[in-house]
Amino acid sequence: MSDVAIVGVGCTGFKSVTPDVSYKEMMFEAATRAYQDAGNISPRKDIDAFISVAEDYWEGISIFDEFVPDQLGAVMGHLFTICGDSIIGLSTAYMLIKTGYFDVVALESHGKPSDLLTLYDVVSFAMDPVLNRPLGGHPFYVGGMEMNRFLCETGNTKEQCAMVVAKNKGNALPNPYAAYGADIEVEDVLCSNPYFYPLNRLDISQPADGGIVLVLASSEVAHKLNDNPIWVRGVGWICETPSLETRCWSEAIYARMAAQMAYKKAGINTPSREVDFAEVDDMFSYKELQHMEALRLCGKGQAGKLTEEGVTRIDGDLPINPSGGMLGMGWPLEASGMQRLLEVVLQLRGEAGSRQLPDVEVGVAQSWRGVPTTTGAVAVLSNC
Amino acid sequence: MATEKILDVRRMTHWPGHMEADYIYTLGIAGERFFREIKENGRISGAKCKQCGQIFVPARLYCEKCFDKLTEWVDIGTKGRVYTFTVAYVDIKGEKLEEPIIYALIKFDGTVGGLVHKLGEVALCDLRVGLPVEAVFKPQPDRTANINDIKYFKPAK
Repeated sequence: MSDVAIVGVGCTGFKSVTPDVSYKEMMFEAATRAYQDAGNISPRKDIDAFISVAEDYWEGISIFDEFVPDQLGAVMGHLFTICGDSIIGLSTAYMLIKTGYFDVVALESHGKPSDLLTLYDVVSFAMDPVLNRPLGGHPFYVGGMEMNRFLCETGNTKEQCAMVVAKNKGNALPNPYAAYGADIEVEDVLCSNPYFYPLNRLDISQPADGGIVLVLASSEVAHKLNDNPIWVRGVGWICETPSLETRCWSEAIYARMAAQMAYKKAGINTPSREVDFAEVDDMFSYKELQHMEALRLCGKGQAGKLTEEGVTRIDGDLPINPSGGMLGMGWPLEASGMQRLLEVVLQLRGEAGSRQLPDVEVGVAQSWRGVPTTTGAVAVLSNC
Repeated sequence: MATEKILDVRRMTHWPGHMEADYIYTLGIAGERFFREIKENGRISGAKCKQCGQIFVPARLYCEKCFDKLTEWVDIGTKGRVYTFTVAYVDIKGEKLEEPIIYALIKFDGTVGGLVHKLGEVALCDLRVGLPVEAVFKPQPDRTANINDIKYFKPAK
């Protein structure tokens, strides 16, 4: 079976609002850039299949996948729409190529939450309609409940979570794609308004508009399209349970098991030593710590301490979210995992500009599908 | 990719959309019985799996671990413990609430699962993981067989 590489990336960049473009134009822009990056291929001739990651309620259109082909050059093409996070989309693209039926696959995801006037009502609509929704309220209380239990069980602290926010917003400052870069102090986070104890306002990622397209190819054609292909060494994804009542609240099992699957495929036994850097979901500040532990980048209860010691800083031994994460780049709904993938690709290519990490060979991207889910996905990428 | 971009913000227009989306959510066989027990008898029920022996709360028709059908119903009492909690200070629009709302996951000894609900009659400074709590029901005539037939949980005596 052929190996699979990422041979093209295209991104619109992320903004808090984008009143100048439609979601279709956003997709068109990201696709145009990705196809050019992949050796200037034509989607009408050179791409064998297309995957879009989107959901109807985010888009405000029933059967959204029917609205995808035109702006990707996919009319009369083989198109799938994946409902989930974009790293689940990557897993699908990976498998399509592995079947041998397809050599070149384009993967698209975008978010335009500024079009959604009732964003958190839509999130709320994802909660169990009989058991949970009648209680009302902002659905991110689930994050507050999870953070409380996580800190209680692991000994990580609210201050260490605030350090994640300051680090990631700082990392985002030199990232031209990021919407929420800022030079802030840990104190600013701790003094921001309490939202869902122990979550403060600045512990929570803010919505952002933007789109990303990746082009993937089999090893047979990868080198023809790009001199610097980034190899997908392993993918994994897991759905735990939607039930708030029966799920595991003490750790991110979905991330641990998705990583287990991806590491096994990639031949990684000791991730803390073999992974050079990671981009992980940081929808809420504590999620970065929880996900680091689930990815076995450190032991249980150690992530906060490593953050405090500066190990996860961009100049530390194990940089986490050099892009700025979602706290720094923004939360583009289902494209959040794609932001993680994009940064891992740019870093492994040596194209991350002033935030470039030296001597990196293996990077991990991890996503979570957000409140109220327990679904996550992991990809291991390498440049050799 | 577009070569001409809009430069005048006053030219940026949009079409407002509104989506009607009304549903009824069928409670189902187990849900019907679970909520009727609350409404008629003030009882919280679990369902026991014959294969793994675990009791699931709220009671349901199938075991998520064994994929077995659950037929044995158990009254689990009305007292549990706070497994985790949060204090919400903002509403769904992000506006500050006049009174914060406390949400908690309540677990019941010897069972799997629990109930997500609000806490009442408790000072914020007394909140803690592990706090013993009990259900406070609406008066029987006001109950309509839904999760809000329980008003909230309060610290147990």
